[in-house]
Amino acid sequence: MRIAVVLGFLFAGAYLVAVLEARLATGRLRLAAPGWAAMALLGRESVVPRQPDRLFFETAPALLLIAALLAAAVLPLAPGLFITNLATGALFVNAALAYVLVALLMAGWGPDGAYALIGGWRFLGQLIAYSMLIVMPITAVAMRAESLLTTDIVASQTGLWNILYQPLGFVLFFIAAMGVAFLPPFDLPSAEGELAGGVTSEYTGVRLAVFRLGRLVLVITLSAATVVFYLGGWLGPVLPPWAWSAVKILAVSATMLLIGHYLPRIREAHLLAWCWKLGIPLALLNIFIVGVMVLVWP
Amino acid sequence: MIAGARAGTVSGLRRLTAAAMARDLHAIIVPGPEVARARGLDIESAGLQIAATPRHANVLLLVGPVPRELGDAVIVLYAQMMRPRAIFSLGASATPSPLPHADVTADLSQSGLLDGVTRLRSAFSRGAFRLGVSDFDAPALQIRIEYTCPMHPEVVQDQPGSCPKCGMNLVPREASASAEPHHGAEHATPPEYTCPMHPEIVQGEPGSCPKCGMNLVPREAGSADEHAQGHQDADMDHGDMGFMSMVEVTKDLPRSPDGLPMDWIEVPFGPFFPGLPGGLLLTLTLDGDGIAKARAQSLVGGSGALPASGMGAADFVEHLSASDPLAPICYRLLACRTLEAAAGQAPDEEILRGRIAAMERERIASHLGWLALFARQIGFGWLLRRAASLQLQFLHADIKQVMALSPALQALIKRLQRTPLLKSRTAGIGRMVPDTVLRGPVARATGVGDDARSRDKTCSTLGFTAVSRDRGDALARLHVRLDETRHSLALIKAAGAIVLPTPVDIGVISGKGEAAVETPRGEARLQLTLDNGRVIDARLDTPSTHHLDLVAPLLEQQELGDGLTTVASLDLSPWEVVQ
Repeated sequence: MRIAVVLGFLFAGAYLVAVLEARLATGRLRLAAPGWAAMALLGRESVVPRQPDRLFFETAPALLLIAALLAAAVLPLAPGLFITNLATGALFVNAALAYVLVALLMAGWGPDGAYALIGGWRFLGQLIAYSMLIVMPITAVAMRAESLLTTDIVASQTGLWNILYQPLGFVLFFIAAMGVAFLPPFDLPSAEGELAGGVTSEYTGVRLAVFRLGRLVLVITLSAATVVFYLGGWLGPVLPPWAWSAVKILAVSATMLLIGHYLPRIREAHLLAWCWKLGIPLALLNIFIVGVMVLVWP
Repeated sequence: MIAGARAGTVSGLRRLTAAAMARDLHAIIVPGPEVARARGLDIESAGLQIAATPRHANVLLLVGPVPRELGDAVIVLYAQMMRPRAIFSLGASATPSPLPHADVTADLSQSGLLDGVTRLRSAFSRGAFRLGVSDFDAPALQIRIEYTCPMHPEVVQDQPGSCPKCGMNLVPREASASAEPHHGAEHATPPEYTCPMHPEIVQGEPGSCPKCGMNLVPREAGSADEHAQGHQDADMDHGDMGFMSMVEVTKDLPRSPDGLPMDWIEVPFGPFFPGLPGGLLLTLTLDGDGIAKARAQSLVGGSGALPASGMGAADFVEHLSASDPLAPICYRLLACRTLEAAAGQAPDEEILRGRIAAMERERIASHLGWLALFARQIGFGWLLRRAASLQLQFLHADIKQVMALSPALQALIKRLQRTPLLKSRTAGIGRMVPDTVLRGPVARATGVGDDARSRDKTCSTLGFTAVSRDRGDALARLHVRLDETRHSLALIKAAGAIVLPTPVDIGVISGKGEAAVETPRGEARLQLTLDNGRVIDARLDTPSTHHLDLVAPLLEQQELGDGLTTVASLDLSPWEVVQ
């Protein structure tokens, strides 16, 4: 039951993200659009390219969805409302997100198409940029909570949310999260104008539907992670906890999509340079500041 | 009923799916969205979403007649689309053979588009599934298998075998049956064989070393001793011959600046690539994601050429105007000016001013169209929508509407100057130095104030001054176009009215004429010869013809994304390329 509620929540969130994405792309708000689009995709042919790596090609969309769901499994939406509460939860999020890279590389390699292949490579580069900026801010969050349990992390923010306690960590994590979900301006692996869809360019029909669903759930998962780590999770007055989680997660997702809408895609070289030369020193500084604060102001 | 229906009986669930498809139309546009917009079509507001790849499209939208040279590419495009798929043709009833006939045809106008989309929806909901569907096949879809070495892309042959340079097995790859086979291997130096342990042993055929008996390994002739010396140690580590040393295999490959030898692949970008103008074909040899070699060609150029039999003067104006859908007014003006020069006539000042206003309005629309295309390439969603919608509004605006739109345009320009990441995305990309072959905004971005309008008296009286920037990169080209857009607004305001160029009656005269027009892409020149009121010879010189030749050297050694940004920043019109 609990699992079904969480999954239902994730898919409902993914649907709303799809509505917003369609609104930004077409300029029209149509609540039914993603539903029709999904049904149309299911009715369309789904072909396998001529010389695929069949295993990679078939597995990649499902793996992307599974990776996103796995990471979401440890994120609590309300006290008691989670799939599992691992003692290593915060670390597990990061571990599960590692499979996003694997899925995208497989999707790039599988179809034996140049655009997809370059998309896959690009995401490999992107991982090098974002991965440290996922782990290091989480470290600082866990330092304050003195626990890797995601429920403890939420509880630790009762007095002051982490977005105020460690704003630097929030900014870094937020940017890195957009990088993981390859949202614009970090949509290097799936760039339309540069790679005609990149990793998604050879997927059609039901496989494309699964891939897109995986991507949408990934956006919700990363928003949920941002909420749990920095925005006080379910904490908030008046409304019930699950409603606070829902509102915050959707707000974070919408912010991510909106930011990308108003920016051009970043250059891969700049992404790497900025993440390593600026992001990582800042993340270290964040850990240091939080360490000092935890000591002087527990 | 649609010709590209998917096989299947029509059941309840299928009916629902068909209804969903009718609501979810994704079009791949031939020749491209920028041509559709330049012709005044608002594809997205008509309910068609623009697909990035034929794989994700279910509607093939043909805007106007398909140029003959694009026929095969359109057939391949159609074959790549998933069924159920439909062909929607605007303004032309014929599709390139052997494509099925268009499922829906309509006039080339916004109302035709809207009407067509409605019919398309009902065609989908009624006929997306059907029994007895046959496969689509065409000669253009035939493929040929050729064999190439993964490390030496210049080695290409029709038979399987091993690479003459490194001995690796050649891998099969598909090539279009129509494309002419490569003969790179012919140019390669014949290999010679050497002993990994005794570099002084060199012979023309494989064999074993007279000193130690090891199998000789191949090496490129003339690829000197420094390799043999330099890699002697490396080879000793795995002295066995069956094994392929990476060092050995990659030593003769040209290095990209990052020093990493990688698989080279030849990838076509175009002629219907989402981030490039339709009809432009870039063939990039990629070394990883770096561009090792580039080739750019226009598949739709030369349409402005004069038929051998010549043309009537009025027909010629229409012909030249239709030759470039991205700048029809400027080419119309060019034809009119040249005819008038040949006839020794000059229209009155009022008309001249009005024509300049028409040219400047087209410049604004064209630069906005370029912005939209550029935005699509660099993934800037907001700019794509904003620029595209402004372009459509400017396209046929009268003077009052232009003035009313002016604040929106100014706001767009201001916003672009403040957009984060845009500067870093374009600064330093595709840097060029002043060169006489450069024209238009591309030239003015290198600090040269060259502009055909500064030689035009009427333009000067309207207060024209050429704008220029001096960095010569994609950012400078963006800024020049934005500045020009502002200038154009001022010029239209000063001109006071917009008058489309119409040919004056030149009568039955003979003579030669020459004129130039500063099109949105730079100065276009035309020389023509009249014989008894008939155009018998026309020589056209256009900016994109020259800029196209610059693409290959500019792109080499750039990262793929930067390379594409460079091409986009040149604002090529494949249509005006003279072949």
